[in-house]
Amino acid sequence: MPEEEQRDSKLKQLGRSVKEFLYGMAGHDMTRFALKTRGSMEHLFILITMGDLLGIPILPPYYSLRLLPYVVPQISTWKRRMLRERDLTDALA
Amino acid sequence: MSLAQVFREHPNRRYIEFGGKGGLGKTTFSAATAYWLAQQGYKVLVFSVDPQASLSDIFERDIFGQGAVEICPNLYAQEIDADQRIREYQNEIRQKILDMYGLDEVPKEIEDYIQATAAEPAMEESAIFDAVVDIVVSGDFDYYIYDLVPLGHALYYLSMASVYDEWIDKITALRTEMQEYSQVAAILERKKESEEDQILAELQDIKQRINTSSGILTDREKTAFFFVVTPEEMIILDTQKAATLFAKYQVPISGYIVNRVIPPELAQQNIPAYLRNRIEMQNKYLKQIDETFGVDVVAQVPEFERDITGLEMIGRVAAELFGGEA
Repeated sequence: MPEEEQRDSKLKQLGRSVKEFLYGMAGHDMTRFALKTRGSMEHLFILITMGDLLGIPILPPYYSLRLLPYVVPQISTWKRRMLRERDLTDALA
Repeated sequence: MSLAQVFREHPNRRYIEFGGKGGLGKTTFSAATAYWLAQQGYKVLVFSVDPQASLSDIFERDIFGQGAVEICPNLYAQEIDADQRIREYQNEIRQKILDMYGLDEVPKEIEDYIQATAAEPAMEESAIFDAVVDIVVSGDFDYYIYDLVPLGHALYYLSMASVYDEWIDKITALRTEMQEYSQVAAILERKKESEEDQILAELQDIKQRINTSSGILTDREKTAFFFVVTPEEMIILDTQKAATLFAKYQVPISGYIVNRVIPPELAQQNIPAYLRNRIEMQNKYLKQIDETFGVDVVAQVPEFERDITGLEMIGRVAAELFGGEA
């Protein structure tokens, strides 16, 4: 029955919208915060394993090399963030 | 107790290490012990962790960087080529980057970093350390005999394990915390599962390797460590100091072997005063060794009339070392 199916899909759509609305109100900010913290830690992690890339001597580079392939995509954003000049507005962000 | 007895009474000690100052005969005894054990029917690997290894010289064969080379039935010898190992390792990393991201060449910045690491001072030792892990975890042999580096270096080698261990612990903790944030985000976004953190997996693998290696070095059940000394004052003092330091790293010291003893029978013969003096001096230090190390002295090996190279001479040393029970 096409009519019933149509009603069903509309109901589903409504349900999804409500869910997304609620997520946007309550969850989204928390998710963003969790991911932002995760991102900062990622950069900290690269710093303490691959600090040599910035000229900061780091203890055992032998095993750091094993981790290198996994951080390749992050290296350039990491460098930019680490070497960026900072000013007062950073504190407000 | 004789050395042969030590081996018989502790059949589980399958990792044998010889330590001592440079030039006292660590390589000689490593080779002789390997030879004796091979004669007893065990499959033995003697390998060197010294970048300036001399196993090639003693076996009169170039085995440097060729993996485990069969010297005679049951007896294998290996000299690790650190440079080669580093090169292979770097290539592995490069290949992994190319495969993971489907690149044709490694980005310049990354390539520079990979090349720069080869120049790091600890790189060579780390590479050897890592190669040793591969060797000992393979389990292909009944006995593994470490021809160790001279004392100071050996301590560095031992401490490296604990330094690595701490480093790994710290970054693993950070990585685990990062994982938690990913999971929180994943739950909030109602994803079924967060991506598995490959770095964390890699770290855990590294940690396990380091622990295996340092665990073996300090395992009283599986490992025997012998100090090589000669009847000379400085050597005795240095060995005492080293023994204290080694004890701090929980290295199980199983005994001392006295090398280069001038045969005392010579004193009965008509010998020049020069040699007579040396024998007298040696007697004094042998007494001192007896007082210092006492029952822990498991063997005395004479000074031979020629260099120890080739299997025949190694066999003679083994006969002295193990009381002719070969």
